Amino acid sequence: MRKTLKIALREYKVAVRSKAFLIMIMLMPVFMGGTAGVTALLESRKDTADKRIAVVDRSGVVAAALHEAATKRNTSEIFDEETGKKIAPAYIIEIVPPSAEDPEAQRLTLSNRVGNKELYAFVEIGKDVVHPGDDAQGARITYHAENSVFHDARKWIAQPINNHIRGLRLAEAGLDRATVDELTRWIPAEGLGLLTVDEATGQVKEAERSNEAQAILLPMGLMMLLFMMIMVGATPLVSAVLEEKMQRIAEVLLGSVRPFQLMLGKLLGTVAVSLTVVTIYISGAIAVAYHLDVADHIPFHILPWFVVYQVAAILTFGAMFTAIGSACNDLKEAQSMMMPAWLLVMIPMFVWLPVVKEPLSNLATWVSLIPPFTPMLMLMRQASPAAIPAWQPWAGLAGIIVFTTLCVWAAGRIFRVGILMQGKPPKLSDLARWAVRG
Amino acid sequence: MNTVELRDVTKTFGTHTAVDELSLDVPRGCVYGFIGPNGAGKTTTLRMIMNIFYPDRGSIRVFGEQRRHAHTDRIGYLPEERGLYKKMKVRDILRFYADLKNARDVNREVDRWLDQLELADWADKKVETLSKGMSQKVQFIAAVVSKPELVILDEPFTGLDPVNADVLKDAVLELQSDGTTVIFSTHDMNVAEKMCDFIFMIFKGRKVLDGTLTSIQDRYGSDTIRLRIEGNGAVLHDLPGVERVNDYGRLQELRISAGGDSQQILAAIMSRTRVRYFELARPSLHDIFVRIAGPEAEETNHA
Repeated sequence: MRKTLKIALREYKVAVRSKAFLIMIMLMPVFMGGTAGVTALLESRKDTADKRIAVVDRSGVVAAALHEAATKRNTSEIFDEETGKKIAPAYIIEIVPPSAEDPEAQRLTLSNRVGNKELYAFVEIGKDVVHPGDDAQGARITYHAENSVFHDARKWIAQPINNHIRGLRLAEAGLDRATVDELTRWIPAEGLGLLTVDEATGQVKEAERSNEAQAILLPMGLMMLLFMMIMVGATPLVSAVLEEKMQRIAEVLLGSVRPFQLMLGKLLGTVAVSLTVVTIYISGAIAVAYHLDVADHIPFHILPWFVVYQVAAILTFGAMFTAIGSACNDLKEAQSMMMPAWLLVMIPMFVWLPVVKEPLSNLATWVSLIPPFTPMLMLMRQASPAAIPAWQPWAGLAGIIVFTTLCVWAAGRIFRVGILMQGKPPKLSDLARWAVRG
Repeated sequence: MNTVELRDVTKTFGTHTAVDELSLDVPRGCVYGFIGPNGAGKTTTLRMIMNIFYPDRGSIRVFGEQRRHAHTDRIGYLPEERGLYKKMKVRDILRFYADLKNARDVNREVDRWLDQLELADWADKKVETLSKGMSQKVQFIAAVVSKPELVILDEPFTGLDPVNADVLKDAVLELQSDGTTVIFSTHDMNVAEKMCDFIFMIFKGRKVLDGTLTSIQDRYGSDTIRLRIEGNGAVLHDLPGVERVNDYGRLQELRISAGGDSQQILAAIMSRTRVRYFELARPSLHDIFVRIAGPEAEETNHA
C-alpha cells in the first residue's frame, strides 16, 4: 500500500504542478463566466437602430391604430427604465395606401424597397381581418422581410393589430371591453414545492415557490461538473499510461511494484487531483453564494453525495481508460478503443432532460440505477426538487461500488498483460480475454 | 548460497516458447553474464527473475525464497529499453525510484552516485535535456541507488562511448567488491570475457553454455590457430584440415577440423606464404558464440 501511495503522490504532484492543471482550474470559470459575459455583451450590443415598416392596410381600419401603438411603444417601451438608455429599436410605421388594381406590383415594389434597405419590412393586412368569415385569403396578416422568422417586429406587430380588431368586434357586438376582460380573465397555475416540517420548531414550513434555477439549473450544473471532472480527470490517464508503456517506464516501475499497485496508484492520484479541482470550484461557488447572499440555496446535503459519486466515477472510468492505455501502442489505436467507454460517459448527457423533468418516472429511476450512469443521473435526481425515494441513492451507491470494484479488478488484469505487450494492436475481444483469463 | 536458482523454467507466449526448461544457479557475489542472439530469451529470463513475467512451469528462487515479490526491494533492475519520465528532474526521478524500493539514505545515495558518474551538474535538469549516454547512466543509478543485493542489468553497455562504458564497468566491479550479485546481459563478447565470473548462453530458449570462461573454452579444446601472414588471407583457402577461416585483415583465425593437425596446417601455410605469427589457442567467446548461433551452425543443426 505504501508503494501505491508513493505512485499516487507522484501522479498528484506532477499533475497539480503542471501548466495544464492551472489552465484547467482557470478555464472552467473563465469558460462559464465567458459564456455569460458574451451573452451579456451581445445583449448590450443588440441592434437598436430604428426600423421602418411599411403597412398596406386593405381593411382600412387597422393602420392608424397600429401607427398609434407603435408611437406609444417608441416613446415608452424602448428605453431602460433606470438608465434611460435605448435598449430596443423603434418601429416607424409608414402607411402605404393599398393599390386596388395591381396588388402584386405593389408587393414587388415594397419588396424592392426592403431589398434596397429603405424599409425593414412591410406588412399587408387583409381586407376581411375584422370579419374573416370563410374567406381565409382576405383575412391574413402577412409580414414580408428578408429573414422574417427571426424578426421581433413580426412577433410584436400581431399584438396591437389583434387588440384593435377585437375591440372593433366587441364594440359591434355591443359589449363593454372591461366586462369582457373580467369574464375571460386567465389564471395561471403556479409551481410550488412541497410543505415540510421545520425540525427545529416543529412548525409546518410554507411551500417554496419552485423556480427554474432549482428545478433544472442546479441538477444540470452538478451533472455537468461531474461530467467535466470525468473528461478532464480520467481521460489523461490514457496518454499517461501510454507514455509509461511506450517509454518503457512501466518496466522500471514493475521492477519495484506489482502491476496492480502501479495501476491503483495512478487511479488514486487521479482521484486526488479531481477532488482538488472540485474542492476549489465548490468552495469558490460557496464563497460567491455567500457574497451574493444566496447561500440558502446551496444544496449542502448533496455535496457529500457529489464527492462519493465523483470518486466512484473517476475510479470506474479511470480504470477503463487505464486498461485501454495499457493495451494500445499509440493514441490512434487508443481512440478507437475509447469509443465504447465514451458512450457510457455520454449516455447520461443524452437522457438528462427527461430525467430532470420527471425525476420520479420509471425511465429516470431505472436508468439512474444502472451503475455507470448512477453518478451523473442519480446525482441529478437528488439535486432536483422532487423527493426521490430514500432507498434509491443507497441502492445506486451499492451498485456503483460493486461496478467500480469490478472495473478496477478487470482493468488490473488487462493492465498486467497489456503494459508489457508490444506491437500488436489489440481488439476489444483481447481485452475481455485478458480480463477473464488474466 | 545461490542468489538466484531457476529450475526447469518454461515460458511461452502464444505458440512461441521463449524459455524452455531452463535451470540456472547464480552464486552470491558473482558477476554473471547472459549472452545469446537477439530473441533467444535473455530478456524474458531476466524479467522472470524480476517477477515481471511469471513462468508457465518450473520454479524460481531468489534469495532462497520462491514466493513472488518477496524480495523486490532487494533487487535493482535496469531494463533493456530505458524508461525515464522525460519531464521529471534527474534528482527527483532517482529519489522516486529509490523510494519505491523503500531505500534508506535516499538523498545521500542519489548525490553520491550522481557525483561518481559525473552527473552532478545535471541533477536539477529535466531528463529530456540529457544525451542518450547520460540518460543511460541515470538509469543505471536508478537500478543501484537503493543498495540492492542483486542487480540485474539488461544490456547496460549498449550505446555507450568507451569512456562512459568504462565508468559503468568500474561501477559494476565496485558493486561486486561490495558483495552485490550482478547479472547482466550483453552482446559484447569482450566485456563478457573480461568481466564475468560465469557466462551463460541461451539460444532459442535453451541453455547452450553455462560456466566459467575457462570451463566453456575447455569444452572446445585448443582447436584454433591465430595467424599473421604476409599478403592477404586469400592464400588460406582450401587448406586441408581447416574447417573455417576468419580473416580479420591483419589477423586470421583458423578453426581446425576434427582430426586436423596443427603442424601439417602450419607446413601447408608456410608452403604458400611467409608466416609472421602463429599461435595455437582456445577459441574466443566470440567464436564459440558464432559456432553455436551463426548461420553455419544453423545449417548443421538442421542437417
